[in-house]
Amino acid sequence: MRESYLGRRFRHLKQTQNSDGGWGYFEGKRSWLEPTAYSLLALHEEAGTPAWEKGWNLLRSWQRDDGAWRPSEQVEDGHWSTALAVTLHCIRGAYDSQFRKGVDWLLDSSGEETRLVNRIAAYLKGESPTGHSLEFRGWPWRPETASWIEPTAHSLVALKKAAPQISGHLLKRRIVLGEGMILRRRCDDGGWNYGSKAALGIDLPSYPETTALALLGLQGNRDAELGPAIDRAHKLYNEPQSPMAKSLLKLSLLVYGNKFPEEKPSDAGRDVLVTAIEAISSSGTTHPLLRPVGVA
Amino acid sequence: MQATRREFLPLAATALSASCSKKQMEPMIKSGTSAVVVMKAASYSVDLVSKILDGIRISNLDVKGKKVLLKPNLVEFDHNTAINTDVAVVAAAYEAFRSLGAQVVIAEGPGHRRDTMGIAEQAGYRQGLEKFDSVFVDLNRDDVTAVQNFAHHKQIYLPNTALAADLIVSVAKMKTHHWAGATLSMKNFFGLVPGSVYGWPKNFLHFTGIDKSIIELNRIFPKTFAIVDGIIGMEGNGPIQGTPKHAGVMVMGTDNMAVDATCCRIMGIDPNKVAYLAGAQHLGIVEQARIQQRGETIDSVATDFQLIKEFANLSLRHAVAQSMKAG
Repeated sequence: MRESYLGRRFRHLKQTQNSDGGWGYFEGKRSWLEPTAYSLLALHEEAGTPAWEKGWNLLRSWQRDDGAWRPSEQVEDGHWSTALAVTLHCIRGAYDSQFRKGVDWLLDSSGEETRLVNRIAAYLKGESPTGHSLEFRGWPWRPETASWIEPTAHSLVALKKAAPQISGHLLKRRIVLGEGMILRRRCDDGGWNYGSKAALGIDLPSYPETTALALLGLQGNRDAELGPAIDRAHKLYNEPQSPMAKSLLKLSLLVYGNKFPEEKPSDAGRDVLVTAIEAISSSGTTHPLLRPVGVA
Repeated sequence: MQATRREFLPLAATALSASCSKKQMEPMIKSGTSAVVVMKAASYSVDLVSKILDGIRISNLDVKGKKVLLKPNLVEFDHNTAINTDVAVVAAAYEAFRSLGAQVVIAEGPGHRRDTMGIAEQAGYRQGLEKFDSVFVDLNRDDVTAVQNFAHHKQIYLPNTALAADLIVSVAKMKTHHWAGATLSMKNFFGLVPGSVYGWPKNFLHFTGIDKSIIELNRIFPKTFAIVDGIIGMEGNGPIQGTPKHAGVMVMGTDNMAVDATCCRIMGIDPNKVAYLAGAQHLGIVEQARIQQRGETIDSVATDFQLIKEFANLSLRHAVAQSMKAG
């Protein structure tokens, strides 16, 4: 019997796990948080096995004293992928001090454009320095830089998953502000670019990957009109796309209730991150884990 | 008014820089002369391999047994314009360096999009480069090592594939740039900075300062060869939304600054007014009298590239007009 599409991806992920428990972006490369988090999520039904726990413990060991996660053993700096670590803690049900420190770091993190010095500069110029409303606060890729769609989307997923465990208004406020930031940067075609809907007055097109992630971050928002964005994601999905774009679009459409036929058996590619996302978006049971509480 | 990141980022970077200790730029100016090879190439169907081999030979570059990293400029794809280094130039460079006994990889870390393979596919790299999957490295997701001192930062993380190369060949595109004036072989090094650490876009470089970052990356990677694809370049609102510009030229050399200064002169831009060239004369040569022009003369290939109004003052014509006015 031929091994299924999903089975091949699970096997590939298990074969490419590094001896330290993590996964690299590509087979044989050092472990990074991003492919490790996605792989652990894809293999979540293996939680409790020595291999899965080794990956989980490695990921946990990369938290810094300030609560942020570093993206790999080699990189010291706090990083947007803290959001992935927090999301995984929620899925694991690990609501401990590491989880809380991670949430606190996310709550304290925001784009540099909202800091006082830049607000003053904007005020003196009589306009928003980014052309965006500064009332809304997104998340940067790393500290001391501006906010962008992708890290904001990941942070929203994490905070929405964490919300039932965190009391106070700050978390809910950041979710509102983060969603507002994403919604106000939507491109005219309905999707999202990496951060700006236009440059020098010229409209920018949306990208598949950022459109998919923005939709993931906006799950549960009942006020926004997301129909055009979902239509855009559908349109992009039905065009020729790379495996990364295709799998992210499928994942985002799945969480909005769209159905897809079972994938025909095919080998996993050499990109471990893409393999993990393909597995998450094909299992039928994994993508619901990315939904916030209260979203069916 | 939309998208004023152009205005915001330098402002923010200035504000940040002011509060940080600045590393003093080396005051010295590189001595001697540099050779730059200018070749006509009417289209991508001419024998580009021979032209690149000529450029390497004239530049006295010995690459036998060396680890060579070809760094194209792969940013985004748009059928309507010419954003990326044409795959024909990359394929020709690959063949040329391989024929000389080099171990060659093609590596790039696009600045805006994390889907490197998707862009490579759209730009024709997968179809146009033999054994693409085995020779191409996504620098955005390569393993990294910290390199000490980058502008006012303690360190920068850079891809191991780039750090291990004996020679980095900047296979750049001849384009105007709405923040830096022109993007050529030196600015192309932004793609060496890994998105896995710095994100998409690599906003860290904007906050550090675009010009300063260009200079610092070229300081860290001094062993270079430049091949600038000016067969069809981009003018106006480059590096993404500009208009294709047929210049029919390739520019090559071992001194990236001299190559870029020559490209600027071909494009009708005064290189002394391009901030990263003016600020890095310890790294290479900009002065025309000290550049040994090989192959075609600048005059024989020069064609003015349209500049956005914010950079109109970079135009060589503007400089001439100003000096006549002053005289």
